[in-house]
Amino acid sequence: MKNLLLLLLMFGFVYSITADDSKYEKAMKKTLELMDSAKDVQTYVDIANKFERIALAENDKWLPYYYSALNQTLASFSDPELSRKDSYLDKAVKLLEAADSLQPDESEIYTLLGMVAQARLQVDPMNRWAKYGAESNANFKKAKELDPSNPRPEYLMGLNLYYTPVQFGGGSKAAKPLLEKSLQKFEQFEKSDDLMPHWGQTEVERILNEIKDLEAKELEAEESEELSPEK
Amino acid sequence: MLKLICSILLLPILLSAQTKISGSIFDSGNQPLPGANVFIKDTYDGVSSNQDGSFSFETEEKGEAVLVVSFVGYNNYEKSIYLDGTPINLEIILEDNTKELRTVVISAGAFEASDEKKGVILRPLDVLTTGSEADIYSTLETLPGTQQIGETEGLFVRGGAASEAVTIVDEMVVQKPFYTSVPDIPSRGRFSPMLFKGTIFSTGGYSAQYGQALSSALILRTTDLAEETTTALNFMALGLGAAHTHRWENSSVAVEGGYYNLAPYFNVVEQNSDWEKAPVGIESSFNYRVKTSETGIVKAFGSYSYGDLSLNMEDIDNPGNKTSFGIRSDNYYVNLNYREILGDDWTIFTGASFSYDLDKINISADKVKQDEQLAQTKVTVTKGITDNSFLTFGGEIHNSIYNDSFNNLSAGLNEVYTAGFVEADIFFTNDIAARVGLRGENSKLLNKLNLAPRISLAYRLGKYDQLNFAYGKFYQTPHKDYLYYSTDYDYENAEHYIVNYQLIGPQRTFRIELYYKDYSNLAKGSTQTYPVYNLPPVQFNNDGKGYAKGIDIFWRDQETIDYVDYWISYSYLDTKRDFSNYPQMAFPTFATPHTLSFVFKFWVPSITTYFATTYSFSTGRPYFNPNNPEFLGDRGKNYNNLSFNFSHITTIFNSFTVIFASIDNVLGFRNIYSYRYSWDGAIKRPVVPESLRSFFIGCFISIGEDNPYN
Repeated sequence: MKNLLLLLLMFGFVYSITADDSKYEKAMKKTLELMDSAKDVQTYVDIANKFERIALAENDKWLPYYYSALNQTLASFSDPELSRKDSYLDKAVKLLEAADSLQPDESEIYTLLGMVAQARLQVDPMNRWAKYGAESNANFKKAKELDPSNPRPEYLMGLNLYYTPVQFGGGSKAAKPLLEKSLQKFEQFEKSDDLMPHWGQTEVERILNEIKDLEAKELEAEESEELSPEK
Repeated sequence: MLKLICSILLLPILLSAQTKISGSIFDSGNQPLPGANVFIKDTYDGVSSNQDGSFSFETEEKGEAVLVVSFVGYNNYEKSIYLDGTPINLEIILEDNTKELRTVVISAGAFEASDEKKGVILRPLDVLTTGSEADIYSTLETLPGTQQIGETEGLFVRGGAASEAVTIVDEMVVQKPFYTSVPDIPSRGRFSPMLFKGTIFSTGGYSAQYGQALSSALILRTTDLAEETTTALNFMALGLGAAHTHRWENSSVAVEGGYYNLAPYFNVVEQNSDWEKAPVGIESSFNYRVKTSETGIVKAFGSYSYGDLSLNMEDIDNPGNKTSFGIRSDNYYVNLNYREILGDDWTIFTGASFSYDLDKINISADKVKQDEQLAQTKVTVTKGITDNSFLTFGGEIHNSIYNDSFNNLSAGLNEVYTAGFVEADIFFTNDIAARVGLRGENSKLLNKLNLAPRISLAYRLGKYDQLNFAYGKFYQTPHKDYLYYSTDYDYENAEHYIVNYQLIGPQRTFRIELYYKDYSNLAKGSTQTYPVYNLPPVQFNNDGKGYAKGIDIFWRDQETIDYVDYWISYSYLDTKRDFSNYPQMAFPTFATPHTLSFVFKFWVPSITTYFATTYSFSTGRPYFNPNNPEFLGDRGKNYNNLSFNFSHITTIFNSFTVIFASIDNVLGFRNIYSYRYSWDGAIKRPVVPESLRSFFIGCFISIGEDNPYN
């Protein structure tokens, strides 16, 4: 009987380990799914909080910290209130510090730091471009060094250029090569782990399509100009 | 046994009975906090608070547990709870985390520009885009408390002379912050605003860490590691320059060189003076930074500049005759310092600097040589006491050597100045803080000690506004010109009393400051007499005195109009003093009752261009008229100036480029700064700007070698 008890306890113990692990994975996957449909500030904060809870309970996993920081950054981008934007980023930086201490030299963490700097710049571009422009460049550079196959540094740089005025060196022409390179890396990217970051590909495809449409229109306009008899 | 097995098997079922936890979260001002993270410690169970601060979730955990609420900017809230299926309802108030959120700021008397701190009045970019020709000092002249003195450089603060203001770079005094100038033509500041990440301009009541300035301290902090590797070129109507910055992982080096020559400009823009040799010169600097640890940094800065000019000036006592005046100057400056945080709460700063200035001046056949060197070292230690409060102490030693000569006559001084200070920044609550300091100084030449107490109080009234008070004693060793005659002098002395109210919102700032300044022991003495008053020469002594009182008002608004930022400064000043060669108390020549500045900046995103315009007004200043029996009884003309500048941002050959231009006195006001009389009072000449309007045009190209976009 004693053996049965022991067996039961042992089984329970083993079960609880696998249960815990799958619990982590299940919770992560469920929360990651929520990200797909998130659009507004509140949802991003909610998801960031969920990831933070997982991070704090697990204590030795960097991914929940990373995703929490990602959602705080997205919240900053989507909050229309200028005075609040920095507070999400302050939080994101803290979460990334925690992630970095668990997983040093992680390309994805530096990518996200670059994105945080982009978000900081957007709060007050006039005053901040010098500092945060350089900071985001430096982080993306480091991210690329750490993992040349990571498609997200190019994606974020391209995205930023796409929405930057041509006078500042931005625009679709400047953005296109970066986005194409990013797409190429996305296509070569092999999923090692379902939980690892994989965001960005659909957005790259969407913008590249927009650029294609834009180029088609320009071409059309040029052709019609050439054909017009006044010219 | 079966019972036991049953209960073990049943346990999970029992455990799965859920407990509902609900409630609301508020800040200390009873405002609901949405988006806070509420959860059971070490579990995934939790929820974010709603827009009205409410929350509700269920947990399957049982027994002892800890409920945590976390929200950025607030201290974590933790509460032990017992989970047994009984619903729990909690009203939770989160406390501001004082380190992150607004606390009271000790700020009486000071304007601060910083990117890193919240609740400051200016940003470093403001310093760059407001003043003319990117001169720090011309930006400061748009702030209240400063006088607009067109004919000479320097900060004239609240009735104080330019010699009463000190410029400090990385904790150490700069001997010559301005280029050498010619009488009646002001010179620029030596340092580019690009070198600094933080600026504190104190118009009174400044910290015990600094001394030897009766009126004002400009405290500049240099940037840390350069952000990235770049090469920059700049082309100006006045000259050209190049700079290269290299960034490594933990260090950076920047070298910069420039050449200027005003001759082409003077050919285009007519000058009032008869220039024989338009100003030419070179400027060069070297900047090295290395991070010695996560928190430690060594900074080395060195610069050399050289300037040469000559002109013929009218000899007012011999009409028709001209006196030639030429200056050649060399300036060397080195500043080396190290800052490190040791343990949790010790910060140590050590620094040394050296400067050497040599001015060779020719006035007709006379040769004047002025040779000054200053070596100094400083140590400052800061010890954190609690989260916000800290203690600062340290000391400094300066050795100044002056060697001046006039033809074959020469004189020299060797001064050793030592000072020690201790200062406590105490935060009693988030709303009440005090800075209490004491500074002791000793001058070898005067052979005297002084003790200068300083106190500053700050009381926060609301989220954005606060009241400030400051009192302080400030000492300054008399200028070397007095000490050549006698070292039997005492320190000059000023006492400041300041009351200030300020509201610094995210986009709007209002600040009003009342002050009273009491001068005593001002140095006096002159070998010249005033013929008309029939008075003997002014004796060399410390009997000078004076006062200054007034109101400074500042308003800045970045919110009302999109892409527009404007500020208005107004200063009212009432002052009288008896000092230098004054025979009696008088309103000094460098002060005026009313000064107004209006700065208006706007950004046009579609053409990526930044426009700025500044209007300045001040009432006429007193000038010396030997024919008027009342000393300094005459008042000059009111001063008006409207200046305009723009910066256009673009790319040229794939390089980030800024094209800028400025015009001073767009409307062509015929300004007269002052008047100058011949010795007998028979001839009167106005002191006017060098040209009716001045122009500045240039472009700056930055070639980013490390541009990851390429």
